[in-house]
Amino acid sequence: MKNYLGGSLAVCALAASSMAAFSAEPVVVITSFPSSMTGPIEAAFEEANPGIDLEILNKKTSAGVKYIQELAGANTADIFWASAPDAFEVLKGDGLLADAGGISSTGIPDKIGSFPMNDPDGKYLGFAAAGYGIMWNTRYLKANGLEPVSEWSDLKNPEYFGHVGMSAPSRSGTTHLTVETMLQGEGWDKGWAEWKWIAGNFATVTERSFGVPDGVNTGNFGLGIVIDFFGFSSKASGFPVDFAYPSVTALVPANIGLVKDGPNAAEASTFIEYLLTPEGQEVLLDPAIMRLPINPATYASAPEGFPNPFKDSSIGSAVNFDVSKSGARYNLVNSLFDVMITYRLDDLREAVRAVQVAEAKYPDGSNPEAAALIAEARALIEANPIDEAQSLNEDFAGIFTKKRKKVTDTVGERQAEVEQRWDTMVVENYRRAKELAEQAANL
Amino acid sequence: MTTNMVGIEIKDLHLSFGETEVLTGVNLTIEPGEFFSFLGPSGSGKSTLLRAVAGFGPTPKGQILIGGRDIVDLPPWKRNVGMVFQSYALWPHMSVRDNVAFGLKERKMPVSEIGPRVEAALDLVGLLSMAGRMPNQLSGGQQQRIALARTIVVEPQVLLLDEPLSNLDASLRVQMRRELLALQRKLGLTTIFVTHDQEEANTTSDRMAVLDGGVIQQVGSPQVLYDTPANLFVANFLGTANIIDGVVEKDGAAARFVTKTGDAIAVGDTTVNSGSIVLRPQNISIVAKDSANSISGTVMHREFLGSQIRYLVDAAGTEIVIDQSHVSGETWQDIGAEVSLNINSSAAVVLAS
Amino acid sequence: MTHSPRGSAPGLSIADRLPKYLFPRIGGTAAIALLIAILLVGLLIVPVLQVIYVAFLDPNTGALTLNNFKDFFGSSLFRESFGNSFYVSAVSVVMATIIAMPLAYITTRFNFGGSVIIQSLGFIPLIMPPFVGAVAMQLIFGRNGSVNLILRDKFGISIPFMEGLNGVILVQSIHYFPFILINLSTSLRNIDRSMEEAAQNLGSTGMRMFRRIVFPLAMPGYIAGAVLVFIKVFDDLGTPLLLNVNNMLAPQAFLRISSIGISDPMGYVISFILVAFSIFSLWVSFLFMRGKDYSTVQKGGGGLSKRDLSTREKWIAYGTVSLILLMVLSPHIGLLLLSFGTIWSYAPLPDDYTLQNFVVMWENSGTYISNTVLYAGLAATADVILGTAIAYIVLRTKLFGRQALDYMATASLAVPGVVLGIGYLRLFHGVQVPFSGEPMASWWVIIALALMVRRLPYALRACMAALQQVSISLEEAAESLGASKQSTIRRIVVPLMSGGILAGFVTSFATAAVELSATIMLVSSDSDAPLAYGIYLFMQTPSGRGAGAALGIVAVILVGVGTYASQRIIERDKKMRMSGDAH
Repeated sequence: MKNYLGGSLAVCALAASSMAAFSAEPVVVITSFPSSMTGPIEAAFEEANPGIDLEILNKKTSAGVKYIQELAGANTADIFWASAPDAFEVLKGDGLLADAGGISSTGIPDKIGSFPMNDPDGKYLGFAAAGYGIMWNTRYLKANGLEPVSEWSDLKNPEYFGHVGMSAPSRSGTTHLTVETMLQGEGWDKGWAEWKWIAGNFATVTERSFGVPDGVNTGNFGLGIVIDFFGFSSKASGFPVDFAYPSVTALVPANIGLVKDGPNAAEASTFIEYLLTPEGQEVLLDPAIMRLPINPATYASAPEGFPNPFKDSSIGSAVNFDVSKSGARYNLVNSLFDVMITYRLDDLREAVRAVQVAEAKYPDGSNPEAAALIAEARALIEANPIDEAQSLNEDFAGIFTKKRKKVTDTVGERQAEVEQRWDTMVVENYRRAKELAEQAANL
Repeated sequence: MTTNMVGIEIKDLHLSFGETEVLTGVNLTIEPGEFFSFLGPSGSGKSTLLRAVAGFGPTPKGQILIGGRDIVDLPPWKRNVGMVFQSYALWPHMSVRDNVAFGLKERKMPVSEIGPRVEAALDLVGLLSMAGRMPNQLSGGQQQRIALARTIVVEPQVLLLDEPLSNLDASLRVQMRRELLALQRKLGLTTIFVTHDQEEANTTSDRMAVLDGGVIQQVGSPQVLYDTPANLFVANFLGTANIIDGVVEKDGAAARFVTKTGDAIAVGDTTVNSGSIVLRPQNISIVAKDSANSISGTVMHREFLGSQIRYLVDAAGTEIVIDQSHVSGETWQDIGAEVSLNINSSAAVVLAS
Repeated sequence: MTHSPRGSAPGLSIADRLPKYLFPRIGGTAAIALLIAILLVGLLIVPVLQVIYVAFLDPNTGALTLNNFKDFFGSSLFRESFGNSFYVSAVSVVMATIIAMPLAYITTRFNFGGSVIIQSLGFIPLIMPPFVGAVAMQLIFGRNGSVNLILRDKFGISIPFMEGLNGVILVQSIHYFPFILINLSTSLRNIDRSMEEAAQNLGSTGMRMFRRIVFPLAMPGYIAGAVLVFIKVFDDLGTPLLLNVNNMLAPQAFLRISSIGISDPMGYVISFILVAFSIFSLWVSFLFMRGKDYSTVQKGGGGLSKRDLSTREKWIAYGTVSLILLMVLSPHIGLLLLSFGTIWSYAPLPDDYTLQNFVVMWENSGTYISNTVLYAGLAATADVILGTAIAYIVLRTKLFGRQALDYMATASLAVPGVVLGIGYLRLFHGVQVPFSGEPMASWWVIIALALMVRRLPYALRACMAALQQVSISLEEAAESLGASKQSTIRRIVVPLMSGGILAGFVTSFATAAVELSATIMLVSSDSDAPLAYGIYLFMQTPSGRGAGAALGIVAVILVGVGTYASQRIIERDKKMRMSGDAH
């Protein structure tokens, strides 16, 4: 196994692959969704439209984007179907999506939470909604004497040390969305600080987004930061788990779009239309799928206790998600997260643990000397290598994309150099923070 | 390198591989300092018996006493018997010196003593200059000597040699067997030598045991075994023998062996009534017709062997091999010639069937 | 025996008057060698070069540069990753040795009931995709796996088997120890019993004799196995990623190559370093083994010595073997429980048992199984054909550059599957399959080709070993009786090598059947997916775990039965051959 990894490797993939279109010219769908989700939808669609055959090609989001980019020119794909709006933004930016504005979407509202349902330029459409939240294993929490949490900030509490799991934003488009949501909701510095304190309690940073629900399901760790449908479908599969939306979350549509110059554009449009009809939406409530339908009427047939964002306005309305801001620093945020958290998790955990221990010793701040040391340690952990303005600086963020458009384009620094600089600072800060906190604890 | 000479006694030894018994009721006494051979065809159990003495293979029933001590239940490494293997079994990853020093190191001998002893042993086999070589850089004869040096350097009570010469070419074999014997005499080491080659056994052994089918057929000096074989197997295995079936007719003190074709051969005193007579080819001579104690026949075939001429004579249906010394210029009997055979009856051995 | 008609040329043609070197006479063997060389260059060397070439490009200007390597060594993260990879590989070799050594020694040197079964069971870990093994190991040895839950419950302690690098080492050593087991067993079997008897005769015994005589003599086999383990662990990506260990070289390469929109050259630099370091390790092991082929020095001995065990020794031996087997088969036990379990969460065992997972699996995985048999079968068949041909060319001909074939084929050991997969995508991009017009990169035959190249070294080793056992005089005898080279090979050499060829086929087939690293890059639609990919897909959903495990069990049983059967055939074959010289 070297993996699934591979999937994304397609990166490189220059893949000309495509489906072998032999006979009935199937509609080729590039998707990041698992077959447990695409299967029932495909079956329902093909039953409703016997003349059209779907060929589902499962790729990780990043790999799917790469795949379509590489195919441009001799395109064989018809539809791109994935969660993360960012991925669609990338394709849209490259001019690889066809106009989907003409597809009828009767009864679908314009917004879900505070998020626009469809791309304002009509290049891609929402078909289901999803929001990030916290999932937990009830047996695990009970055995460890822990309470379920419903707010991000609760995950910072020392009692959750070593009990939390999350995926890395560079590995999972939806995780990226969560990270970015916090950065936008709390502000750049406060947002990163929150993430680092939460990450201090991490048991692990998983490589795949599915690794988080998997870890919670098996009880490898107790709480996970996951997208809602993982929580719902795990619960529906019988695992002793539950899920809650924190107040700061983005409820975002999962999207579908037509690939430009797809060979079967008409049939592809038929599929997207079907997906938005009440029958198509109904399939989303299949226990193995459990995504939030975007057609409010569909909630009538939802199981009891299933959240309805069109009624419960507290879900996902706290943040105004700025897609362009997110897109501008997409790779930079991923890289920063990896440098500060993923690759230096051990150092971060040790520093955070030391602070937690010191604070437990002086819960009331009665020792000013200790309090000062702790404050200094906290500041070191929270310190960011760059500020928000720099994150949005086009030239600087460009180091992390390095898409040379012209031979004359130059970039000031190489990514590896920047990352090494960050890494040096972060490692030193964590080390020093741990030292200070231990000093405080030993007073 | 002196050894307290010890004897070996094997008492009622039985040994089986699974269901198959390969040694049956072996009883044997080997004197201290004796050069003793186990001789037999392949599958006779001679190597198995040797390996039982060394402690390899399945544990036998019975006793093996070395210097009066029963070692049957001891593992090989506690027996203090030295064995030289047919394949030499030099360890290819060690130099000659390390090979020879191995046993001494196992005995936790101080390093200061190991060096001189290894050199003495290598000197004894004349290969001191090869000490730094690896085994695969040596010829077969050299490997053989190193294997010997490796064994005697630990001063075993008994030396066991398992077909040590069989991987050498013919001329080297003769030379090595003399060296082996000289070395054995010098060290006074009780030695068992396993071979399938009667010439090797005859030339080296004080005494030997002939084995067949896991049973000792006869024990004695090479000459005794050759001249007075105890049974047909020994008679046939050692040299060439004419074996003729018949009955013994006694007439007072005199006895005659009468063949099925009616020819009579005078023999010495015997308790046998019917059986076979064993006649060595060189104890029969071709003589003028009708002399006493003779058999008549026709020359069928003739072979010139250098020092001898071998005739195959048909005596009324019995084929008899006769060796005559070759004297230069002598005329030979023609094929088809009618001849009479004179038998040296004192050399005839009568065996019960 | 190539026939070049000469003599009866009536009048010289123009061609005959031209210098000979313009028309090199290419015999049949040479032509085949050339063909193999072209195949290897095209399917291995070129694709790999395609990938590592990027490591030398300046991402900004596209010019050649070494800056990327400067950045690599300038980065503390990468240096640490390199150190971790090295540490994990080295410790995995040690662990694998500890597992393999007793199994190999006990089954080859003693009369021990069930040796064939143990040898077969010892092979089984290789035929489980490591990512499946890692899932099962988490369930058993993880932080909250069965073992730790029980330990915590009974003794209030837990053991960090699976934490960080420990987990990688544990999973890798359990997965790859069969390489050492197989090679070491072969070496031990080749040691003549007189080697040990001579040592015992001189007073050596037990561990001391093992250390001074047996192990050094088995060293060539051990090193061959150990270097394989080292390289495989060093290159392996799946296990660290599945265990969420990022600070190693292969995951770093992957993470950097596969993140959205990033064209960071570091991933390619790391790929280059992985390949280069693996080749370096292979080279060092070859240097070490040079001149240490002891088997040829040991002639005319008594064959293999198998000692009887005393009752006490027997108990110890069975205890040791059972304990080791229990440990190395724990992933399979975990998988079995998972496949029959309903929900297994934070508990030593599943809540309940069901057959439902097998039903789900059965309904959905027919194509995975048939694809696997097709791909792995084609790959393994091609491997033994190539392996036999290369072995013959290297060992029995004097062709110029014949060693290069061996080196090239063996070098594919040093190429991480992901690198090969990427290389293929690049190489076949835009090429169309003749007749069907399908894009080559998405044609299923490419998957079989990748598997063939990946598993060729295994088949080649087996064929080489088999051919070395065939005395050249047997061939000469056939030729002297008038058989042509061709029919000698067909009627004498290949039949005599059949045991080794079968062993090569099984090893190639079994390991190809569970390969995922290269195939996942190349699978372009679910209908082309092999089994390991199917398990992977199943395991990406909460409800699919059990079914994925069921498919894993089917894979293990399928390949396991095949392995056992061939092991029996090989044993029988060996016995037949040995019966000739028993005395």
